[in-house]
Amino acid sequence: MKLSSSSISTRLMWMNLIVSGVVLVLAVLAFFFYDLVSFRDNLVRSLETSAQIVGANSVSAVVFNDPQSATTTLEALRNSPDVEAAVLRSDGTNFAVYRRPGVHALPAEKALPKGANDETWVTGQRVLLAHRIVFDGKPIGTVYIAARLRETSKRARQYLAIAGIILLLCMLAGFAISATARRTVAQPIIALAETAHRVSRERDYAVRAEPPPDNDEIAVLVNAFNEMLVQIQERDSALNRARDELEQRVEERTAALQAANRELEAFSYTVAHDLRGPLDAVQGMVYILENLESEGKRGERQEILQNLRQSTSGMAGLIDDLLNLSRASTVELRHDRVNLAEIVRHIAEDLKRSEPERKVEFVIYSPPEVEADEGLIRVAMDNLIRNAWKYTSRHETACIEFGAKRVQGETRYFVRDDGAGFDPELTRRLFEPFQRLHSRSEFPGTGIGLATVQRILERHGGRIWAEGAVEKGATFWFTLREAAGERVH
Amino acid sequence: MMPGYGARQHGEERRPRRARAGRWLAGVLLAAAGSAAATIAPTRASAERPSQSDVEAAYLYNFGRFVSWPSAGSQGPMTICVAGQESFAQELSSLVSGEKIRGQLIQVKRVWRPGAADGCAILFVGHDVPYLSGYLTATRGKPVLTVGDAPDFLRQGGIIQFLLQGDHVRFSVNLVAANQNRLKLSSELLKVAVSVAGHPAGGGVR
Repeated sequence: MKLSSSSISTRLMWMNLIVSGVVLVLAVLAFFFYDLVSFRDNLVRSLETSAQIVGANSVSAVVFNDPQSATTTLEALRNSPDVEAAVLRSDGTNFAVYRRPGVHALPAEKALPKGANDETWVTGQRVLLAHRIVFDGKPIGTVYIAARLRETSKRARQYLAIAGIILLLCMLAGFAISATARRTVAQPIIALAETAHRVSRERDYAVRAEPPPDNDEIAVLVNAFNEMLVQIQERDSALNRARDELEQRVEERTAALQAANRELEAFSYTVAHDLRGPLDAVQGMVYILENLESEGKRGERQEILQNLRQSTSGMAGLIDDLLNLSRASTVELRHDRVNLAEIVRHIAEDLKRSEPERKVEFVIYSPPEVEADEGLIRVAMDNLIRNAWKYTSRHETACIEFGAKRVQGETRYFVRDDGAGFDPELTRRLFEPFQRLHSRSEFPGTGIGLATVQRILERHGGRIWAEGAVEKGATFWFTLREAAGERVH
Repeated sequence: MMPGYGARQHGEERRPRRARAGRWLAGVLLAAAGSAAATIAPTRASAERPSQSDVEAAYLYNFGRFVSWPSAGSQGPMTICVAGQESFAQELSSLVSGEKIRGQLIQVKRVWRPGAADGCAILFVGHDVPYLSGYLTATRGKPVLTVGDAPDFLRQGGIIQFLLQGDHVRFSVNLVAANQNRLKLSSELLKVAVSVAGHPAGGGVR
């Protein structure tokens, strides 16, 4: 409760005090005035009685001219404070007077009207009563009795004292009530304020305000606050997640960029190196040719020109492959209906024609047509089939298969051969450009064919992987993004 | 305060000298006696204060109002008898003529011998009467209120005795004698008495 907590309970307490104080003051005033009026009435009545008693008891004293006796009668009033009295003869002269020091209630003169036997005068500070003494039907004198209303101010003081005591009790009760109110009203609000303070100070949105046991507006407030905290917390964590994701993505992209950079460096180095080789050979042979010119040996020159053509065509092949690779990455995709089996068949026929001496059996299944860029897919299939053709070239006979399988809801195409195969541990390097698993002398090639295939298939939303073992052949599996309705049964 | 009262105005009218008798007499005696005061014949015209016998006459009349007789209710006039003191009798009769006590007309009668006091309600025996004891003996046991101003009046068996205290006329009461005569004296009367001997019938006074 270190927070500015006392204010609410203090205000509640003051409210209690003010309300009870106002009620008390009004009640005291009402009672006081009622009491004042009834006190005056009672006083008048009691004075009337006293006047009648004094009058009756003074008859013989007046008749027998005994003021002493009348005075004795009057002195019986000494128990009534602030009361003075006098008996007057019928001619208005004093017969017996009873006065008190400091009261001065009896006026110097006050006449009883003729005919009236009783009269009462009430002035601000004094009640005066006259009563005619009648004996045997004849008036023989008058009793005057007067009281000063000093009681009034005394009573006011008493009321004030009582009101003060009650106010004190009210204050104590107010403290007790405010303690209760503090528990039931202020406490939940204070707890809520504390929680809010903690949330803003520590930025900890996991804390919750304690809901009060009663189902009142404070409970609604607390629940709304908690609900707000839940939403803030959710938004906060979503923000954090998004940030983490973004960071991860940036890291991935950075890594990919770095890899691409490295690949590009290696690629350009390899390209330069691979182009440099045949170029050196071309320069060397051109030099020999210049020297041969003078000596004029026709047979040698023919052989050198042959080598020259081979070197330049090798360079042209490499450049073509590089162009294919580049095109595979950059060319805009067309959407054609493509029959893969048809393409494979054409390639197979080309190959058989180019090397009719080889004994290679083609097994070509007919998967349904696919939607793809025909030019690119043709390059990809050409690479795969020629790859199989090349790596079976050391075997007496060979079998190359093409087909598709429905596995786990996707169509997987395959090109299988029973050729030289590869070390399965090096599978990953198969699709990197200029990475060869076999020496150039064993199997000629530029080393970018499979990389080109991978690029093309990836651009078609597919992927490629390979299974194989040394001298046990190889199987290249690949998939394509499937248009709706393309299914193999 | 009520400076004029009927009785006194009458006195001024008809007995101008009575007006000088003093305010207190008018207030006490005449007021007590009512309008009857108008008929009082002053014995000392020049007196500034009422004489002793004036006061005694008024008291005698007033005694009748504080005493009850066993034969109360009789329709006949109430007789106040005076033995001795001729002038007092005249004064009294002029004071009370026409007055009533409890509805009974008052009459004043002179008596000269004890035997004549039988029918009196009040018997005043002056101090100049030589046979005081004779009067008291004759009225003993009879409903007669005996009043006198002899110094040993009570001791001889009288009921009320006037006495002087300074200028004031006061009186003492012998309740034993009153009881013997079957008279009931009001406690109001006893209250203003100088002294009371004996006890009233049926209870104490003061």
